[in-house]
Amino acid sequence: MTSTRSRLSGYAVVVLALALLGGLYTAFLAPKPKAEDPANQSVAVKEGRQLYLQGCSTCHGLNNQGGAGGPSLIGVGASAVVFQVESGRMPLARGAAQAPRKTVKYDRTQVDQLAAYIQSLGGGPELPAGKLDDGELALGGDLFRTNCSSCHNFAGVGGALTRAKYAPPLTAASARVIYAAMQSGPENMPRFSDNTLTPTEKRAITRYVRFTTSESKNPGGAGLGRYGPVPEGLVAFLVGMGLLIVVTLWIGARA
Amino acid sequence: MSDSIRDRLKATGEDVDPAAPVSHGEHPVGDPTESTHHSYHAELDEQSAKRAELAVASLFMLAVVGTVGFIATFVFWPNEFGKHLYEFYTPLLGGFMALALLGLGAGAILWAKTLMKDEETVQERHLLSSADEDKQGAAAIIKEGAADAGLGRYPILRRSFLLANGALGVLAVPFLFGLGRFQFKEAAMAKTGWHKGSRLLDELGRPVKLGDLEVGGVKSVFPDVAGGRHMADSAVLLIRMRPDVLHVRESRKDWVVDGHIAYSVICTHLGCPVKLYEQQTHHLFCPCHQSTFDAANGAKVLFGPAARSLPQLAIQVDDEGYFVAQGDFNEPVGPSYWERKPHYKDEVK
Amino acid sequence: MASFGEKAAAGTGTWVDDRLGSANFVRRSLNKVFPDHWSFMLGEVALYSFIMLLLTGTYLSLFFEGSSKEVLYDGSYTPLKGIPMTAAYASTLDISFDVRGGLVMRQMHHWAALLFMAAIVVHLARVFFTGAFRKPRELNWVMGVGLFVLGLVEGFAGYSLPDDLLSGTGLRIAYSIALSTPVVGTWAAFLVFGGEYPGGHIIERLYPIHILLVPGIILAIISVHMGLVWYQKHTQFASPGRTEHNVVGSRFFPAMMTKMAGFNMMVFGVIALLGGLAQINPIWLYGPYDPSQVSAGSQPDWYIGFLDGSTRLMPNWEVRALGHTLSPNVIVPTQLLPGVIFTLLALYPFLEAKLTGDKGYHNILDRPRDKPVRTAIGTMCITFYVVLLIAGGNDIIASIFHLSINEITYTLRTALFVLPPLVYLLTKRICLSLQHADDDLLHHGIESGTIRRLPSGEFVEETLPLPPQYAVLLETTPERKELVAHNAHRLEGSPLAVEAKPKGFFRPRGGKDGQKELES
Repeated sequence: MTSTRSRLSGYAVVVLALALLGGLYTAFLAPKPKAEDPANQSVAVKEGRQLYLQGCSTCHGLNNQGGAGGPSLIGVGASAVVFQVESGRMPLARGAAQAPRKTVKYDRTQVDQLAAYIQSLGGGPELPAGKLDDGELALGGDLFRTNCSSCHNFAGVGGALTRAKYAPPLTAASARVIYAAMQSGPENMPRFSDNTLTPTEKRAITRYVRFTTSESKNPGGAGLGRYGPVPEGLVAFLVGMGLLIVVTLWIGARA
Repeated sequence: MSDSIRDRLKATGEDVDPAAPVSHGEHPVGDPTESTHHSYHAELDEQSAKRAELAVASLFMLAVVGTVGFIATFVFWPNEFGKHLYEFYTPLLGGFMALALLGLGAGAILWAKTLMKDEETVQERHLLSSADEDKQGAAAIIKEGAADAGLGRYPILRRSFLLANGALGVLAVPFLFGLGRFQFKEAAMAKTGWHKGSRLLDELGRPVKLGDLEVGGVKSVFPDVAGGRHMADSAVLLIRMRPDVLHVRESRKDWVVDGHIAYSVICTHLGCPVKLYEQQTHHLFCPCHQSTFDAANGAKVLFGPAARSLPQLAIQVDDEGYFVAQGDFNEPVGPSYWERKPHYKDEVK
Repeated sequence: MASFGEKAAAGTGTWVDDRLGSANFVRRSLNKVFPDHWSFMLGEVALYSFIMLLLTGTYLSLFFEGSSKEVLYDGSYTPLKGIPMTAAYASTLDISFDVRGGLVMRQMHHWAALLFMAAIVVHLARVFFTGAFRKPRELNWVMGVGLFVLGLVEGFAGYSLPDDLLSGTGLRIAYSIALSTPVVGTWAAFLVFGGEYPGGHIIERLYPIHILLVPGIILAIISVHMGLVWYQKHTQFASPGRTEHNVVGSRFFPAMMTKMAGFNMMVFGVIALLGGLAQINPIWLYGPYDPSQVSAGSQPDWYIGFLDGSTRLMPNWEVRALGHTLSPNVIVPTQLLPGVIFTLLALYPFLEAKLTGDKGYHNILDRPRDKPVRTAIGTMCITFYVVLLIAGGNDIIASIFHLSINEITYTLRTALFVLPPLVYLLTKRICLSLQHADDDLLHHGIESGTIRRLPSGEFVEETLPLPPQYAVLLETTPERKELVAHNAHRLEGSPLAVEAKPKGFFRPRGGKDGQKELES
């Protein structure tokens, strides 16, 4: 026979334990909400809309419906914005076979605001939170060679596509831009959704690209652009044979 | 020939030597290269000889400096991957080696140019063709010996000799067959790792589900068999495009699933993987020789040296929603070969 | 009294001579005269590069594993840790990162190979344009072409050994080229590779071919090639004192030998410089070979580049009939073209002799301008070759300059057939003009700078006949020989003659000393 007090204390213990567990969970294990709290988020969207109207609407339309100058941005997602704007490709200066990378017009905050605005229009792929190049190097290399090197070259220095299009060099691309490119599939680049290349795989590839293009050294001397045998052959002739022909002229000259 | 020259020649035995310096006045047009001195590098006075010697010696010393630098770098400089300054290990080694070698080489050349007499010398060329008696003698020996050998005189000997030599020549041939497993069979060429029901696995071995790819996406896939990831003829590219841009002929209508289409990546030109997909133009572009295929039109050739479209893999979706192959390809994948038939069922020319 | 050194040398010499009869050979050899024009040393660049290949190659063979067995990488290059690869690739990584000095040796080996082929091409051009391949040297020319082809094969085998992504792609292409051969293609490809691609044996087979078989053949041919130059004596340019029956130059010992040894060290030095300072074949960036992976901008080494170019430019002609497939799109650029090129190249001395009817010995070299047809043929062929080389890199050009690769390909296709005939005509014209300039000099003499005014009011420049010692340099045709004799006659007694110097295009042999004498 339990007394009322012991029954109540039993409930209290359970409630306390639950509260403790819940508190611990919330503090350490609960996933952080991606967006800021609604108030900040709508500020970003509002700022982004202003930036959009000023810098993008001429081509993409006041209501994002697209126009003669550019396609509709509904549904392209935040990643597309991060890629295009943070690499300086957008705003487009003039038409070409493909939008080239040029001076970046917006800082990081503005890019995020624009991205938030576009994301609010119709969803689409967006960058995950956390470090984007926090991946396994060897896995990234293997995935890069399967999915990326046939366009961008083994070292990410870029390559030719048909009719004056090109896969650009990856040297200048930040981790955000690389990740965003894979997600959004800009222009002729295929789209690698998160089910095609999981976030882990994307992080690994981003790590590999950042390492290869920015951190890796050339232990053999000057990299010659990392284009492969073409510059090597040129150097063999121009430098190698050139120097030696100068030497033969010296040897052959009398007095 | 002047007396002084003759005396000099006698002293070194050169008067009987085929190579001898040319003297004045003997050449019909007066050789402007001859000077009153016997050499280009006039008998050097003490001072310039000393200077030249020091110049050569300092170049030779570079060889020592280079070697010391080389050894020091080799032993002490960090060369482990990733270590600070490790990327200068090879350049320093090469640089010091070059210093040493170029120093020795330049020193030797300078020595020859400045300190050695190195006169311009004339030597007679001997006539290359032999004297008549040699030629006749050789011919006679050959004739006599050949007659003695009797190949002409004994026909049975001659014929059997030729037969024996021929036989021995043929004897070496079977060893080539030991290079093994060379027997060509068209059936082998026409088979890949794909079979009916084989799931499409990605490069990490996971099956691909309908919905994994977005429009404009691609995935490299391999057959669900042991070693399928590394089979050279089985690599396939799964592409998703909007169904309205995909033109599929009647006979292949059921080879595609909701805008998803799969092609062999082995280029029909020379076998390089055709993985470069242009999302907007639907072109597949081979990086080796720039053959271009229209993925929205049966991978027909648009440009470049490839003469045939990429074979298409018929796919469908199984009960669990994963992509599977309906069977092997309808034609041999990859480059052409002599025995390849002109027509295969359901092909796209 | 003879010094200790001299006595020791004499003693050794006698010891050797007693057993080998070497004194005669030593005497003749050390006394041998070699002409010493700078362009005669280009072949030596190839020779010394080959020696460097042997030295570095031997070192590498102590560490390289020519095996296609699959291993998991466990060396110090972290971006490939745990990746499955062949033992060949893994051992190359070990050489590059885990053997001290291994990378510099690997790079020196590869640069020496590129330099070897480059030197052969430049040397071949020199020999061709100066007509040094004529009788009695036709055999040497044929051997040289043989060395060129063997060098191509050896280089291809060599860079395929590490089994990296780039060279593995090349092996795949080689297999497919073999496959395309009519009738026997599939049998040949299966034979060499040990079955359907990849076969699993190709590295094991290329390895002994690369380190033993082909170098042995090359070494043997080089020895005969050089032996012939030694025995037949080197050719020389026309110059005062030089005739078809003599050799004018430096004695072998000590000057020429020292210069040659010094040049040997210089070639080694340049190879070491490149091997240390210029990265080549960074296989760790390419990754291990995988038949489903490829890199944009894949090219073979430069000396195979002309075949890559011809393959890229070829239209996609294929014939499918009568139960079989015939692929001119592959056979023409990769088998027919090199077959024709190397056959014509090898036969050229005999073709030229036949067409010119020239059966004589030639030890004096031609100046290119004096044989305009040959020179024009040469520049025409070089143009053809260079267009193919450029075509081999068309995607690199497109990528760097943001041009359309399709347009580049169409342009080069046209250029391949339009440029060579234009270059032929242009070269021939230039040669003939240069000959006219020479004739002018012989006819009208050198401008003396003295202007005279004639009574009629006309201004005229005084010219002096070309002094014979310079005119003899132009003594290349019978007509010119006559002019030279005529000029010699006209010069007799003229005090101005010795001061006159011809303009520009050739220097009289004699340098400073010679000139001093002339000016006195």
